[in-house]
Amino acid sequence: MTTFAALTAVLSVGVITYVSRAGLIVFLADRPLPASITRALRYVGPAVLSALTVNLVAGGQGVGGVEFVEVAALFVAIVVAATARNLIAALIAGMTTLWLLLWLV
Amino acid sequence: MNSDRDRTDRAITADALRAAIPLFIPAIPFGLVLGVAITDSAMPTAVGWSTNLLIFAGAAQLATVSLAATATWLTLVATAAVINLRHVMYSAALSPRFTDQPRWFRWIGPFFLIDQLFALTSVRTEMAGPQWRRFYLSAGIFYFVSWTTVVTLGLVVGSSIPTEWRLDVAPAIMFAGLVVLGLTNRPGIVAAAVGAVVCLLALDVPNNGGILVGAISGVIAGYLADVAGERRSGVRAS
Repeated sequence: MTTFAALTAVLSVGVITYVSRAGLIVFLADRPLPASITRALRYVGPAVLSALTVNLVAGGQGVGGVEFVEVAALFVAIVVAATARNLIAALIAGMTTLWLLLWLV
Repeated sequence: MNSDRDRTDRAITADALRAAIPLFIPAIPFGLVLGVAITDSAMPTAVGWSTNLLIFAGAAQLATVSLAATATWLTLVATAAVINLRHVMYSAALSPRFTDQPRWFRWIGPFFLIDQLFALTSVRTEMAGPQWRRFYLSAGIFYFVSWTTVVTLGLVVGSSIPTEWRLDVAPAIMFAGLVVLGLTNRPGIVAAAVGAVVCLLALDVPNNGGILVGAISGVIAGYLADVAGERRSGVRAS
């Protein structure tokens, strides 16, 4: 990736991020969003983050890019996140599982 | 008079920092992971680092640097736009508090609006005008400086960690953990499950388009589950 292409991408994401934060504050102060939109927005977080997780595990190589050890590490991390409600614990548990499996297999 | 005012100003800043620090602690591993991801990224390291100053949003930054190798400009920007939709929600919720603020602050303030800052400032309803502004900016600048520091630290450490440690898996684990911690009700679980399954089925859509297909399906499913759940409880109540 060239520096120019990378910088263009970063700047574009920067502008989009700023607009999504500032849009309603700078331009549309006091005009509330319709209730159905705010309701749908609530589910953006879980939907996009889980899709992103799946995509990252595949590493842009389709279903063939999915590795068993990664899926196992992810599974342990999800269980720990759900029970301990703690992101750091989930990260440590997931990475430890990954290292153990890589060492065993 | 003037020194009285200074004292209150300083008290507000101290109050803001005291409230801001505990919320930053969970963000530290995320920042370190992002730093490592920048060293792994297809982007030049300096450009990856510049996401701290130009984007300043952990999830969008992590997506940008980790998708750089495989995604086109359009998918990258579209994915970031979807990730950032929750900021629209924050913006909507905070906009009434900005109506009595000066124009410069309306423009600069939103740049700092990360999850933690929203959580801190939206509940401070007892403050208004210059006091709320001071509280907001003190916490916002604190987050900006500490975030950039932690990511830089991860970047320096990351470049000396061998690839066999497979830290490239850490971003996926972070995202999965964020999903789980964000799940508080049934429609949220439906949204996450549909998002993941549809993205899995759509993995062969070119240019990582599966992320968007999955995300949009998940949002629709979550919304429908929410409406259906409300209707069900409505029937039970009547």
